[in-house]
Amino acid sequence: MVNFIIRKVLLLIPMMLVISFLIYAGIELMPGDAVDFLLPPDALATMNPQELEILREELGLNDPFLIRFFNWLVGILHGDFGYSIQSGVPVSTLLANTLPATLELSVAALFISTLFGTLLGVVSALKKGSIGDNILTVAGMIGVAIPQFLFGLIMIIVFVFNLGWLPVGGRMTPGHEAFFQRLDHLILPAVVLGLSMTAGVMRYSRASMLDSLGKDFIKTARSKGLPEWRVNLLHGLRVALSPVVVLIGFRLPMLIGGAVVIEQVFQWPGVGQMFVAAVRTQNTPVIMMVAFFSVLIVLIASILIDIVTALLDPRVKLS
Amino acid sequence: MKKLLSLLLVLLISVSVFAGGSQEAASASSAAEPEWVSKGTPLADVRVRQALRYAIDMDTIVDTLFEGMAQTAVSLTSPGDWLADGLNEYEYNPELAKQLLEEAGWPKDYTLDVVYYYSDQQTVDLMAIIQQYWAAVGVKSSFRKLEGDLTSQLWIPPADMVNGPSEVKWDIAYAAIAALSESEFYDRFESTATNNSSIPYDAKLDELVQATRASADTEVQKAAFKELQKYISDNMLVIPLYHQIAFVYTSDRLDMKGNAVGNDQYSYEKNILDWTIDSPDGMMYTNCGPMEFYQAPNVNPGQFPYQEFLFDKLVNADASLNPTGGMLAESYEVSPDGMQIVFNLRDDVTWHDGEPFTADDVTFTIEFYLKSPGLNAVALNTFRAIKGAAAYADGTAESVEGVTVDGNTVTVTFERIDPNALLTFSQWPILPEHLLGSVNPVTAQQNEFWQHPIGTGPFKVSETVLGNYAILDRYEGYYRTGTGNIQRIFMFASNENDANLIKNAESGQIDYAFSKNVTDTQGIELLDNMTVHPVNIRYTRLFFVNEFPHPANIK
Amino acid sequence: MNSKSLNRKMDELQRKEKAGLLETSNRSRTLRKLTSNKLALIGAFLFIVMVFLSVFAFLFTQYDPNAIDLRNRLSPPSREHILGTDQIGRDVWARILYGGRISIFIGVGSALGSALIGVSLGTYAGYRGGWLDSVIMKISEVMISFPQIILVSLLVTIVGQSLWNLFFIFILTGWPSMYRMARSQMLSIREEEYIQALKAFGIPRYVIAFKHMLPNAIGPTFVNITLSTAMFILQEASLSFLGLGVPLEQATWGNILNIAQDLTILRSAWWTWLPVGIVITVFVLAINFMGDGLRDAADPTQVG
Repeated sequence: MVNFIIRKVLLLIPMMLVISFLIYAGIELMPGDAVDFLLPPDALATMNPQELEILREELGLNDPFLIRFFNWLVGILHGDFGYSIQSGVPVSTLLANTLPATLELSVAALFISTLFGTLLGVVSALKKGSIGDNILTVAGMIGVAIPQFLFGLIMIIVFVFNLGWLPVGGRMTPGHEAFFQRLDHLILPAVVLGLSMTAGVMRYSRASMLDSLGKDFIKTARSKGLPEWRVNLLHGLRVALSPVVVLIGFRLPMLIGGAVVIEQVFQWPGVGQMFVAAVRTQNTPVIMMVAFFSVLIVLIASILIDIVTALLDPRVKLS
Repeated sequence: MKKLLSLLLVLLISVSVFAGGSQEAASASSAAEPEWVSKGTPLADVRVRQALRYAIDMDTIVDTLFEGMAQTAVSLTSPGDWLADGLNEYEYNPELAKQLLEEAGWPKDYTLDVVYYYSDQQTVDLMAIIQQYWAAVGVKSSFRKLEGDLTSQLWIPPADMVNGPSEVKWDIAYAAIAALSESEFYDRFESTATNNSSIPYDAKLDELVQATRASADTEVQKAAFKELQKYISDNMLVIPLYHQIAFVYTSDRLDMKGNAVGNDQYSYEKNILDWTIDSPDGMMYTNCGPMEFYQAPNVNPGQFPYQEFLFDKLVNADASLNPTGGMLAESYEVSPDGMQIVFNLRDDVTWHDGEPFTADDVTFTIEFYLKSPGLNAVALNTFRAIKGAAAYADGTAESVEGVTVDGNTVTVTFERIDPNALLTFSQWPILPEHLLGSVNPVTAQQNEFWQHPIGTGPFKVSETVLGNYAILDRYEGYYRTGTGNIQRIFMFASNENDANLIKNAESGQIDYAFSKNVTDTQGIELLDNMTVHPVNIRYTRLFFVNEFPHPANIK
Repeated sequence: MNSKSLNRKMDELQRKEKAGLLETSNRSRTLRKLTSNKLALIGAFLFIVMVFLSVFAFLFTQYDPNAIDLRNRLSPPSREHILGTDQIGRDVWARILYGGRISIFIGVGSALGSALIGVSLGTYAGYRGGWLDSVIMKISEVMISFPQIILVSLLVTIVGQSLWNLFFIFILTGWPSMYRMARSQMLSIREEEYIQALKAFGIPRYVIAFKHMLPNAIGPTFVNITLSTAMFILQEASLSFLGLGVPLEQATWGNILNIAQDLTILRSAWWTWLPVGIVITVFVLAINFMGDGLRDAADPTQVG
C-alpha cells in the first residue's frame, strides 16, 4: 500500500510538468498578451505602439517563451507563484483570498447534495416503482437538465426580489464577517449548486440501495424475522453508502471547476470568478496557478479514490 | 518560437482550428471603370461613405435599442457650445443612399469587413441592426470581433500617408472616443498622428487640425474646431453614430445639498463633505470599488469615484470640467501670454499617513508622469509642453528645467502654448514622493502602493477586501471641513460595468453611483428609491472608414 | 421486492402463459426492454419532435430568425409572433427553431464526433495494447485531469470564438471518456474464448477488433453518447453566459437564453428567455430519459 502511494505520487511529478508546459504554451498561443488588457480598449486607441513595447519589456513579456516558462517553474519550486500582471499582487495572495470562498461554497453544495441525494435515493429505492419514486426521479433529472445560471437567476428573482428573504450576491457584509453571520449570503449559491448535483447522488444511492436490498444477507436478515425497517436501515443502507463515499470522491475534482458559473451568477468572489477574469485578460500567472491547482486536486483525488476503494472493498488489490 | 509551439500543440492535442482565409484582390472592372478603382478601394469615394450613413436610421435606433438614452451624432463633438451649426445631418434616406452608391459604382459583390472590440449584448445587437440597414440598400457586410492586440490591428498608420497601402485589414472599424478635451477627438485626423490608420494625407485637413492648437483663447479655438467639423462632415471622413450619455444615480437617502452632477469619469467639485445621508453610521454606498487594485491615474485620472475621494489636485474644476480655483494650490496665476503658471501651495495639507505635503511632491509628480507609459494624451501634451520636458524624458537632464520651486511656490514655464494646461492640473492628482520616489514609473501600477494608496483627499483607504468591497474613511487631517455627515464610503468591487448595480440599488445598497450603461439605467429608472441624472459627456461612437488602398478582406 | 410479490408475479405469468397471452416476439430483448420503458419512449418522442421542428424550421414559421424590427421590439406573444419578439424585434419562436439547429448540431455532433474518435481509438488500442495504447492512455489522462469548464475556457481563448471551434473543442475534450469506456470493454472481452478462437483462425486484428469485439461495446457507447450530448448542450449555454460561447450574433439556444442576464428583461419580458429555457431543459431531459432507458436495456442483469 505504501509503495503504491509513493509510486502514484512520484508519477504526479512528470504529469504536472507536462500539463504545466501545455497550459503555458496554450496561453502563449492566445492572440495578444496581458499588456493588451492592462488598459481599456478606448485608452489603447490613443496609445502608440512603442509605449506598449516599453511596458512589455518591463513586465518581462518580451523574454523568449521557454525562458519565461523556466522562470515560472523555478519560482514554483521556491514556493513563489508569481505576480498578477494586472496589479502586481502576488498570486498566492489572490489565491488565499479566493480559495476559501470557493471551498466554502463547494463544500456546502457537496453537503447539500449528499444529504438530499442519499436521503431521496434511499427513499425512492424503498418505494421503488411508486408514484413518489417516479416523481423524485423526474425531479432529480430536471435538476440536472436546467441550465445552472438560469436556475440561479430565477432563484434570485424569487428569494431576493419577490420575497426579500436573502441578500443579493457577494459573500459578506462588512461588520458581519463571521461564518454564521454571513450564512445568509451562502444559502442561495450553495443550494443552486447543490441541487444541480443532487440528482447524480440520488441516482447512485438509489441504484446501490436496490442492489444491496437484493443481496443474500438481506434475505437472511429478513428470514430471521427482523423488522423491515431494521433490515433496510442497518443492513441495506450501510452497504449502500460505501459506493456513495466513492461518488463523493469523484466530486472532489469539481470543487474548483464546478462552481465557475454559479460564482459568476452570484458574484461570489471565488477562484472561478478570478479565473474567468484572468482568461479574459490573459493574466498568465493567475491562469497558470488556477489551472495548476485544479489539475493537482483532480490527480490527488483520483489517488485518494483508489486508496479508499481498496480500503472499502477487500477484493481490490493495489499493485 | 510561436510556430514551433503551434506545431507542438497540434501534435500533442491535435487541435488546429485557425480562422482566416486567403486574400484575393477585389474583383475586376467592367467596361466603364468607376472612379474608385484607381484609388484602391470603393471606400475612397465620398459618395460611398455618405451612402453608408444615409442608410442607417440612427434616430430609430436611439429611440428603440437605447430607449432614448443616447443622442444621434452629426459630428464627433457633442451638442453644445463646441458643435458647429448647419452640419449636414445625413438623415435616414435609403433611396438617396442607393442613388449615391449607384453613381459611385459600388461593386455589388463586395462584402464590407467590419470590426469591433466590445462584446456586450448591445454592441452585438447594434451591429446586427446596421448590417440589416446596409443590406437594405444593397451593401453586403460581415462583422467580426477583434481579439488580442487591438492597437496593432486598428491603429497602425501606413508608411506612405498619401498612397498607402493600408497597414490594417478592415474596411470599417466600430470604435468609441472618450475625450477630455475636443483635441482628443480631432488630433488623430492629422497625417502625422501616430494612430491615424484610415485617413490619407490632405493638406487642407492638416491645416485645419493645426489651427485648433494655435491659440489659448477659447473663442478662437471654438471657431477652429467648428470649421474642422464642417470639413470632416462634408467629406464624411468618419461616420459618427451616437453620443453616449452618462448617468449618475442617487438614492433618496442622500442629500447632495444642491451640488451639480457632472461627468464622473473625471474629477469635479462635488463638495462631498457637505452632503448628508440618512443613516446612523454616516455610511454612503457606491459602486466601482477596486477589483484587484486601485487604478493609477496615468490613463484615466478619475474613471472611478475613489480616485477623486483619495487624491486632490492643484486646481479645482466645476461640473463642466472648467477650472474654478485652487485646490492644493491656494491660488494660481497664469501669465497673460499663457506661457507660465505660478502655483501658491497650501501649507496645511498632509498625506493620509501624516507626512506633510510639499512643493517637492509637485515636481516629483510632473517628472513621474513624464516617464509613465500610456499617459493620457491631454496630460501628455501638457507635460511635454513644459520647458525642458523632452530633455528630462530622454534622460539627458536630471530634472525638468521649466519647473522651479521657491518655498511654497511652484512655477511651471512652457515652451509652447498648451490650451489644456489648467485642465490637466485639475484632473491629474499630485502623488507622494516619499512613497513613490523610488518606484519605476513604467511598472508603477504593479507596485504595492496601489493596493493601499495614500493621498491628500478628503477620504482615506480604511479597509480593502479585494474582489469584495472597500471602505474609505473620512480623513480627519483634511484641510477643509464640511457641513455634512458622511463618515464612510462603502464601495462594491466592480469594473466599469457593474453586473450587480441594479440588484444592489434595489436592495437599498447604492446611494451614489455612476455608469454609462443604458441597460442598467433602464432598470434603475423603475426603482422608487433611486433618481437618475443624465449627464452629457464627450463620448462618441463612430465608424472609422479605411480610405487607404487595400484589397477586399472578404472574398 | 419481497417474496410475496414475487410469488404473485410468477402466478400472473403462469396465468398469462396458459391463456396464450404472452407473445413470442422476434424483436431483440434489448429493444423490447427499451420500448417497455415509458420514460425512454417519451424521451425519444420529444427528441424526434424537437429535431424535426429544428430541421424543418421553415415549415413552422414564416419569419427569418435574424430579421430585425426595431419598432416592434419586446412585444409580448400575439397572433403574429406566437412567442413575442426579443430586444431588437426578432421573432423568438423562429429563433428557437433555427437556434435549435446549431445547438442540436453542436450537442449531438460533438458527442458523435467524440464517440467516433474515442471508440475507434479505444477499440483498437484496447485490443492491441502495447505502446500505442499507453501513449493514448497518457494523453487521455492529461485531458481528463482538467476540470472540463477550465479546459474549455482555455481552449476557446486560444483558438477564438466560433461555432466550428466550439465543435472541435467539445470533441477534443469529449473523446477521452469515450476512449476509456471502449478500452475497458475491450480489455474484458479480449480474453473471451471466442476471440482467442478467431485469433487462432488468423483473422486480422482490426477485423477482430472492429467486427467481432466492438458490437459488444455498442450499448455503453450509446449511453455515453446521450450523456455527452446533454452535457454539451448545457455547456454551450454556460459558455454563452460566461461570454465564451458561439459569437452572440448567431442564434443558438445558449445565446438566446443569454438575454436573461439583463435583469430588467428577465423580470419584464419572460417570453424572451423562459421558452428557450424550457426548450433546453426539456431537450436535455429527453436525452437523459433515452440514456437511462438505454442503460437499463443494455444491462443484462435487469429483467425487462
